[in-house]
Amino acid sequence: MVESMHFAVLVLAGLVTVSIFSSLLSFRIGAPLLLVFLAVGMAAGGEGLGVKFFDVHTAYLIGSTALAVVLFDSGFHTSIRVFRLAALPAVSLATIGVVVTAGVVALPAHWLLHMDWAPSLLMGAILASTDAAAVFFLLRVGNITIRERVRSLLEVESGCNDPMAIFLTMAVAGFLASGRGGPGLGVAFTFDLVRQFGIALIAGLAGGAVIVQAVNRLGIERSLLPVLSLALALTLFSSVSLIGGSGFLAVYVAGLVAGNAKLAAPDTMRRFQDAVSWLAQIAMFLSLGLLAKPSEFVAILPAALAVAGVLILIARPLAVWLALLPYRVSSNETALVAWVGLRGAVSILLSIVPMLSNLEGGRVYFDVAFVAVLVSLAVQGWTIRPVARWLGQIVPRRIGPVERVELEIPGARHELVAWRIVPDSLVARGHRLPRWAEPSLVIREDRSLLAHAAGVLRPGDLVWLFARPDRIGHLDRLFASSAPAAEADRQFFGDFPIDPKAPMEVMASAYGLPVPEDARLLTVAEFLRSALNGPPGVGDRVPLGEVELIVRALDYDDTIAEVGLAAEPTRIDAPRLPLFPSGKDMKARLARWVGTGRR
Amino acid sequence: MEIADLITPAAVIPNLRATSKKQALQEMAKRAAELTGLQERGVFDVLLERERLGTTGVGNGIAIPHGKLASLDRLYGLFARLERPIGFESIDEQPVDLIFLLLAPESAGADHLKALARVSRLLRDKGVCEKLRGSDSADALYALLTESPASRAA
Repeated sequence: MVESMHFAVLVLAGLVTVSIFSSLLSFRIGAPLLLVFLAVGMAAGGEGLGVKFFDVHTAYLIGSTALAVVLFDSGFHTSIRVFRLAALPAVSLATIGVVVTAGVVALPAHWLLHMDWAPSLLMGAILASTDAAAVFFLLRVGNITIRERVRSLLEVESGCNDPMAIFLTMAVAGFLASGRGGPGLGVAFTFDLVRQFGIALIAGLAGGAVIVQAVNRLGIERSLLPVLSLALALTLFSSVSLIGGSGFLAVYVAGLVAGNAKLAAPDTMRRFQDAVSWLAQIAMFLSLGLLAKPSEFVAILPAALAVAGVLILIARPLAVWLALLPYRVSSNETALVAWVGLRGAVSILLSIVPMLSNLEGGRVYFDVAFVAVLVSLAVQGWTIRPVARWLGQIVPRRIGPVERVELEIPGARHELVAWRIVPDSLVARGHRLPRWAEPSLVIREDRSLLAHAAGVLRPGDLVWLFARPDRIGHLDRLFASSAPAAEADRQFFGDFPIDPKAPMEVMASAYGLPVPEDARLLTVAEFLRSALNGPPGVGDRVPLGEVELIVRALDYDDTIAEVGLAAEPTRIDAPRLPLFPSGKDMKARLARWVGTGRR
Repeated sequence: MEIADLITPAAVIPNLRATSKKQALQEMAKRAAELTGLQERGVFDVLLERERLGTTGVGNGIAIPHGKLASLDRLYGLFARLERPIGFESIDEQPVDLIFLLLAPESAGADHLKALARVSRLLRDKGVCEKLRGSDSADALYALLTESPASRAA
């Protein structure tokens, strides 16, 4: 007995270790990491090395617990500012978008897999949600900066569409299992939806507040705090699910509340969250990978590929376009949101539900969903970078790489920050640090020196100093290795820096620009803010006559800190695809069409 | 719009000596006054006025000061390679050693902007800047500046 337990631990720990090692490979070849975890699980599973630990029930238990952890973490890491920026369109994506996706995916399921309509819709619901883990991973770790509007939209969407897709799947599966029908069904569905999400919302807000109080007030041992918050989050998840609410939405909301509150030991909390979220993702993808039987895929492969194709090329773009139509989202932004609709563990997890409910042909859902997720992770995961660049949605780096460590100091306005001096940085070439950035400690060749003993800074030194968070960006520029200024950057940031506080009047006369009469007395920043309607993001641009004014950088508090002037119109925001017309475009087209018809 | 339309060999200063941004602009205003027949003071003031909108030190050691003057008859470009790099309040805080000055008539409007874009594009090219930094005769600099993009690609 004891021996078999040891063996089990050996296999589990071995799998996790192999998965983590394979992340090295993934970074090397650029393969989406989550795809690698899934593949490791598959290779170890029943038809690979023959590891057979999980039945469907265990896999579902592990998967949904892990998903709760991941959702709590994504809430925890979403700043309320980002949430506010994107809440409305993201909720529209999570509701209308999910329903439309499910509906469209049902079509190939019906015709190619020869399912009835209700099971087809179940198939659609299973594949309707983007994967929070996969999207977060791409946005955070992908080493690229996506422009803020799209980034926040994707982040918030991926966090809140899981509960919707889960609800839809459960509802359709429940309907199929019970065989109930009739005219009252739609009403019952809606009522159920409102009840589940209502409970989750209230319980999530309350639960988040409880977590904050428990962490801050009870004087519990510091290293236990993150464990406590996680335990409370899982308690919330399960109790809300037990009383008939959406536990997943509840933990996401609780994470949002807790992550945005002032917490004791924020660094400890954040690091632990990161680690646990990683482990949850590995556990989820591994255990779902273990369940797969690749030999079964052969029979459904053509149909599954068609389903994946419809999902990626038709259902998601259509759903995104419709869901975003009421909001001012540009054609390029819509295109990127449509493309970054990665499917992941959530879809595979949901595809177990038909088997759990003992539905006829339950295994087909799993196989099709598995193949569709593999395709989505591979195709979309691998191409996000070039696609985002092509759509003008990547903020080019303005400085070279920086080596920096930050430590928050509880109760202080300053942070303790360390920079490594790299040879071609401005500081290494003798540029002085500003007076407010006095080094406190210099670590040189394993000796730690007080600033006056260290003298002139040399490459290789690690410099510790206290700085306000809003000034770290400025120091970064001094400590960074030099970055090449490429044509792409000129396109993105414009030719000349403009003082955001300069009056528009002076701008107008210096370049002969057609500044509207009521804007002449505004500053450049005020003008941009009013012309952008909505919070500014880096890279946002306003055309003015022959030039463009561009938001180059934002301050800590979101005021416009740097502005660029492009002396000729750039092509960054020009629509790249003739798809996704906005409501205004369509109205204009219709008017033109009607006009020519009359004549 | 080509660089050759903006600049003549006489408008290239291969070894400008200056210790500050102000002095560099003054020296270039003086040369501009010689070329255009305008008052040095007027040119200098226009350039300073433009700097108040934001520095024209665009980064990587490049500055493109510019301004509009009512009494000018056409676009004038001047280029200077500095003997020693100077502080220019550049956006990346790097000292500047290549300056392209552009003066436009009040009526130039779109042409002014096109010329600015053209100069900015040229000086974003790392290869061009390296070659400019490596030459110290007016003729060689003029040739590098006015080389057509096609011949540079070849």
